[in-house]
Amino acid sequence: MHLAAALHKDVLLQWRGRAQVVAIFVFGATSLLLFSFAIGPDSAALRQHAAGFIWLALLLSSTLTLADSFHSEMEERALEGLLLLPVSPGALYYGKALANWAQLSFLGICLVPVMVVLYDAFTTRFLGLVGIILLGSAGLSAPGTLYAAMTSQARAKQTLLPLLLFPIVVPVLLASVKATSLLILGDPMGQIRSWALLLVSFDLICWSLSGLLFGRVVED
Amino acid sequence: MSGTGVIEGGWEFVVAAYAVSAIILIGYAVSINIRYRAERARRKREAERAAEGIA
Amino acid sequence: MADAKAPPVERGAPAIAYALAGLGALLLLWGSYWGLMLAPKEAYMGDVQRIMYIHVPTAWNAMLALTFAFGCALAFLLRGDWKWDARLEAAMEVGVTLSLLLCMQGSIWAKPTWGVWWDWDPRLTTTAVMVFAFSGILALRRFVDDPVKRAVWSSVAAIVAYVDVPIVYFSVKWWNSLHQMQSTPQTVSSAFHWPLRINAFGILFLMFGLISLRARLATLRLQSELGPPSPKPVAQYVPAGATGDTR
Repeated sequence: MHLAAALHKDVLLQWRGRAQVVAIFVFGATSLLLFSFAIGPDSAALRQHAAGFIWLALLLSSTLTLADSFHSEMEERALEGLLLLPVSPGALYYGKALANWAQLSFLGICLVPVMVVLYDAFTTRFLGLVGIILLGSAGLSAPGTLYAAMTSQARAKQTLLPLLLFPIVVPVLLASVKATSLLILGDPMGQIRSWALLLVSFDLICWSLSGLLFGRVVED
Repeated sequence: MSGTGVIEGGWEFVVAAYAVSAIILIGYAVSINIRYRAERARRKREAERAAEGIA
Repeated sequence: MADAKAPPVERGAPAIAYALAGLGALLLLWGSYWGLMLAPKEAYMGDVQRIMYIHVPTAWNAMLALTFAFGCALAFLLRGDWKWDARLEAAMEVGVTLSLLLCMQGSIWAKPTWGVWWDWDPRLTTTAVMVFAFSGILALRRFVDDPVKRAVWSSVAAIVAYVDVPIVYFSVKWWNSLHQMQSTPQTVSSAFHWPLRINAFGILFLMFGLISLRARLATLRLQSELGPPSPKPVAQYVPAGATGDTR
């Protein structure tokens, strides 16, 4: 259907630009390395803060992913062409947002081994970690895709996207870092569920609100 | 803080808080005023220039 | 959607705006004098408590300004009337200013009370996030030249930012509760009510005066952008070289 076609288009675009994804991964991994210099070679402290650093690295990498996601639409006025099709803007939005979600989750999961090595931050609850990465990436992708659609058409796009996105995703950052930290360091009081619930609520609200508003953002 | 749990003094903080509030509120009000008058003056000049051009 | 017809601007000096602001300023002076000089000392916090007489009213009005901005954003998206865009810009700017002031006041209050300038108190932290979120939208407005896009995008961004505020508050509250048991004064006993109320109305009137004036400024600028172009001098309409001479 329309959504499937839009999703197919965006996944195909990402597949063709996979060299870019490798570069973004390298950027994320480098960030993880640099963050460790902020703490120093104190293994215990590094392990304690590993969750925060991996999510910061993913957040910074997301600005690259999201900014790039509308790159092809900006060339040759492709966005206008897409809007002329009998497709609802909602389908276009969700296709793009889902593709971005997939890429961010993939990046997050790839950064986990880097975190394990650099910060000695291993967890046996790997499925839980994947779950938190999926939920957190969804929280970054929804508002990120909406703002990327705006800023790709404005001046100073590289500065505007993080400026708009970062304050909005504070709850995602808090909840993801907390949940990841509990997975790594132990969760005696069973709090992970609550943080995951917060992420789910944020995702539900953001995905619906952004989908509703996207049509106005791209219309002429 | 003293042992009884009461904060002694601290007037410098109170003064600082009110002073900061006054500076920001007055400063912002003045800033809007200046910008507003500048914009009106600019439009007046443009209107006059346009009127001269037609005449 | 938005009919690109410039909004009308009211003639003459914005007397009501100045009157509101002036009244607000007077009330603020009265309320602050009462709070600083006449109100009794608080039991545990001593004189530092007096900061509350300006801090709490600022908090109420900052939230009110941003709520008004949210309303303007909705109104613009639903109605397409340009006056809502002008008011949105004004309300956001005033809201950001008040929120920034709130953070400064909160920080000054925190130092003698808790010994640190910042302690991640949920309300203060949420206010800081609000400052960043809405400043970002004001920055967005500066970098978009097309007035229609600028208006639509800032309305959308304002709605997302405002809906996010309660979520930010609850997540920070939760996150913070695991670390600290700080308490901010929740209830104010009746001896302290009057200066608080007077200052609250003071800032309220001042705020609406400022929003009104700032909205006028925005309207003037919109007029320049959306109105018909000013006619050029006659000489410029005659193409160079055309003298009408056919010899």
